[in-house]
Amino acid sequence: MEDAEFEDILDDWFIESLKTYKDLHVYQLEHPTQVLEWTSGNSVCVAGYSQSKNEILELRLPLKLLADENKSLCAERDFKVSHGGFTDGPVRCLTHIPGTRCAVTNDGLSSDLQVWDLGGEESDVIRRTGSIKGKRSASERGSRIAARPSSAPQVLHGAQISDVQLTELASGETLYKLETDSADPLSSLQFVSDTVFLAGCCNGSVYVADTRTSAPPQLSHSPSSAESVIWWTDAAAGPRPSSRRVIRVSSSGQAVVSDLRNLGGAGCQAQLDVQTPGRCSQVKVSWAPTLDDCISVSGFSGVVQIYNTRLWGAEPQEARPLFEHRGHAVSSQQTDDSVPTFVTSHIWHPERPRTLLSAASDGSVHVWDWVDPNRQGGSPTP
Amino acid sequence: MPEIKVTPLGAGQDVGRSCILVSIGGKNIMLDCGMHMGYNDDRRFPDFSYITQNGRLTDFLDCLIISHFHLDHCGALPYMSEMVGYDGPIYMTHPTKAICPILLEDFRKITVDKKGETNFFTSQMIKDCMKKVIPLNLHQTVQVDDELEIKAYYAGHVLGAAMVHIKVGSESVVYTGDYNMTPDRHLGAAWIDKCRPDILISESTYATTIRDSKRCRERDFLKKVHESIERGGKVLIPVFALGRAQELCILLETFWERMNLKAPIYFSTGLTEKANHYYKLFITWTNQKIRKTFVQRNMFEFKHIKAFDRSYADNPGPMVVFATPGMLHAGQSLQIFKKWAGNEKNMVIMPGYCVQGTIGHKILNGQRKLEMEGRATLDVKLQVEYMSFSAHADAKGIMQLIRMAEPRNMLLVHGEAVKMEFLKGKIEQEFSIDCYMPANGETTTVTTNPSVPVDISLNLLKREMALGGPLPDPKKPRTMHGTLIMKENSLKLVSSEQALKELGLNEHQLRFTCHVQLQDPHSDADTLHRIYTHLKSVLKGYTIQHLPDGTVIVESIVIKVSSSAEDSNTKVLLLSWSYQDEDLGSFLSSLLKKGLPSGIC
Repeated sequence: MEDAEFEDILDDWFIESLKTYKDLHVYQLEHPTQVLEWTSGNSVCVAGYSQSKNEILELRLPLKLLADENKSLCAERDFKVSHGGFTDGPVRCLTHIPGTRCAVTNDGLSSDLQVWDLGGEESDVIRRTGSIKGKRSASERGSRIAARPSSAPQVLHGAQISDVQLTELASGETLYKLETDSADPLSSLQFVSDTVFLAGCCNGSVYVADTRTSAPPQLSHSPSSAESVIWWTDAAAGPRPSSRRVIRVSSSGQAVVSDLRNLGGAGCQAQLDVQTPGRCSQVKVSWAPTLDDCISVSGFSGVVQIYNTRLWGAEPQEARPLFEHRGHAVSSQQTDDSVPTFVTSHIWHPERPRTLLSAASDGSVHVWDWVDPNRQGGSPTP
Repeated sequence: MPEIKVTPLGAGQDVGRSCILVSIGGKNIMLDCGMHMGYNDDRRFPDFSYITQNGRLTDFLDCLIISHFHLDHCGALPYMSEMVGYDGPIYMTHPTKAICPILLEDFRKITVDKKGETNFFTSQMIKDCMKKVIPLNLHQTVQVDDELEIKAYYAGHVLGAAMVHIKVGSESVVYTGDYNMTPDRHLGAAWIDKCRPDILISESTYATTIRDSKRCRERDFLKKVHESIERGGKVLIPVFALGRAQELCILLETFWERMNLKAPIYFSTGLTEKANHYYKLFITWTNQKIRKTFVQRNMFEFKHIKAFDRSYADNPGPMVVFATPGMLHAGQSLQIFKKWAGNEKNMVIMPGYCVQGTIGHKILNGQRKLEMEGRATLDVKLQVEYMSFSAHADAKGIMQLIRMAEPRNMLLVHGEAVKMEFLKGKIEQEFSIDCYMPANGETTTVTTNPSVPVDISLNLLKREMALGGPLPDPKKPRTMHGTLIMKENSLKLVSSEQALKELGLNEHQLRFTCHVQLQDPHSDADTLHRIYTHLKSVLKGYTIQHLPDGTVIVESIVIKVSSSAEDSNTKVLLLSWSYQDEDLGSFLSSLLKKGLPSGIC
């Protein structure tokens, strides 16, 4: 499109953003990232996914965003690259081990994991310190990784449901193995408590197991038997049992919410308003950490959508998003329209209710604090 | 080995003052002469004692180059030139030359008049210093002297900012000053050709950041202005005459038009005149868009922005005012500030750095009660916003610049080495060049490998090619024979014959002669024949002749036999060879000293 036309659209969106966002920061990385992972309350890791050499960067969020008092006196809007390192292959999955300066990655080509030291005060270099062997030397999607929330550095990982194992980082010892025969590839893996985890398969089935027992996992079948549909899952691990819910989203835009204690039971559903159903590979669905009932979805296009699941009913109906972040789609620099920009990942800030980070295939990273349209018109929400 | 030395002057690891010494090809150049804004004592000046303990700097420096008008790059200039003493040439671009003295005078007034400092430069010193300035045009090579030449490149960042290319012989250095790689509303992006300097020197202050987009900064500005106007407040924006003021005006004008806003925007007239004047002078330094606008109309003929009159400050209702000076230390902006400070609906937006001692600096540090003249206190109730619009290159920008210039080595100043190991590794890996990070006061020595270009005569080249064999290859150099003639400033390689001809000299011939004694009972002639046969069997592939005049010739070597006077069995061999056959000659003499094998006839 014409430069002038492009600039105009950008202007419109930016002007609109004065009302629709409290804070907005737009960055351009040298190389796009598929991973966004918190390493502390104010820093995230990103990493490249090209075929050969890539960088892992730890970025400290701009001071202006985090400042609460004296925010207006702080002019610092930039990311600080606090640590950086090099990898030999792509990074498809990156997990930070809580309470440490350690991270574990997977390259999406096999189920082996790489272990990294993110560096401290004395050095700004992220160094590889070791590796963990997975079950498969070649894997189409690579492994999912989840870090045990407690103090002992342990990682749960696997490329398919039968491979899931818990490995102790220091010794490399396998502490637990999931006993099941199914070879379904995984699309998500996460702890919902210190020992209980949820494994979501690409076909939509969800397994829940406890690493303390060797009892077989609870299985909840896929909401749909359609063959070509891929599913992604996220569990809300809230403190109250009522907030322990699981959402599953399919590549055709179907969304199903169920209670963690009763996965097969009646929950609520919706048909999401996604632009290009079917054409997606990196869908991310996430419960908002502090906003009850809110979920976010990305990966279908250059947009991140936020939905309020409280409005969903038992029967699947078309749902309208509560909010859409269109920044990546609108400001994409790509001229090649055959491969439009899509959002590769997004995360919520763990404490600030409406702050998110999102990354797209054109290398852009946005940090945004959106305004709830239902509360607009009054004084700005704190 | 030839080398270039770079030393950032200053104490400790302090950022905030640029002053770099470069020694190249026997020349000493000082790059920038900045003031450290955080100190009140002599620590704010660069440490010139590194150059000389006492006395003037003129004899020690070949030139001084200033990259742009920001005080952390030129603030110490009058001090260095008039108080320490330097009478040599000072180079800077035309806009820098025009704007520097204004900023220096402002700075001087604040420091001396407001803070009562004594050991500071005077107005006259600023004037005297600027008399030594030689202005530079972009991309124009300037000969500082016979050997040292410099050239300025566009750096973006602020009006008149330049990157400088310094060359002595075949060694060169590029200093970036402050620059940015993304164009903004009124300035273009830095640009340099593939000049392949031995060292590219750059600041590392922003090297480990990823900059938020310009649009987001603008958005924040518009949001704040809009929110204040909506609640009926007044917005004061103190600005310096140039640069950001234009950009912000264009932004507001576009926004007002788009949103159909009615609140008045004012621009103090002093600002308009000055700004117009400078933009007219330096139109080539702004970007395409500004140039087009300027050509079409006067810079400041905006639909929504009008000239300010001091009485308007008391008008009720919302308004936006741009006024000078930028740090709220005097004049109109301070007057307006005093009137509006007491109302919390109002806002002041500081678009840049404020020097210590100014009201701007105080309110940016959170001070809410100010002491004014006559012991009066001013309660600061209005909203204070600090926004940074300055254009700097970040980590990505540095990589882009290195890609553009293709330096052989990289040098980053003003960074903590421990916090930059990753960047160093990245540069070294991607470009396979060394990356240096000297601390202030530390000298980095970079060995250069200058290539000396030499013209070769066509005849010589043809002759070498005719010798056949593989073509010369940088990895497999081939030895060749020629004469190097250095005449005036040119170097050429010619064949020896041509050199002798040109110099009008005759070639001398050098012949060696040696005698070898041999015991042999035969006649002289027979001995000679035996020698001939022996040599023929040993020296296969060589031309050996037995001439009827009683000599054996091997290549150019002549061998004769005669008998000793005392004893006819003692033969004396005379060997004679020319210098070119030295190796063969000495081989033959050693061989023949061993005697002839018995079986020869």
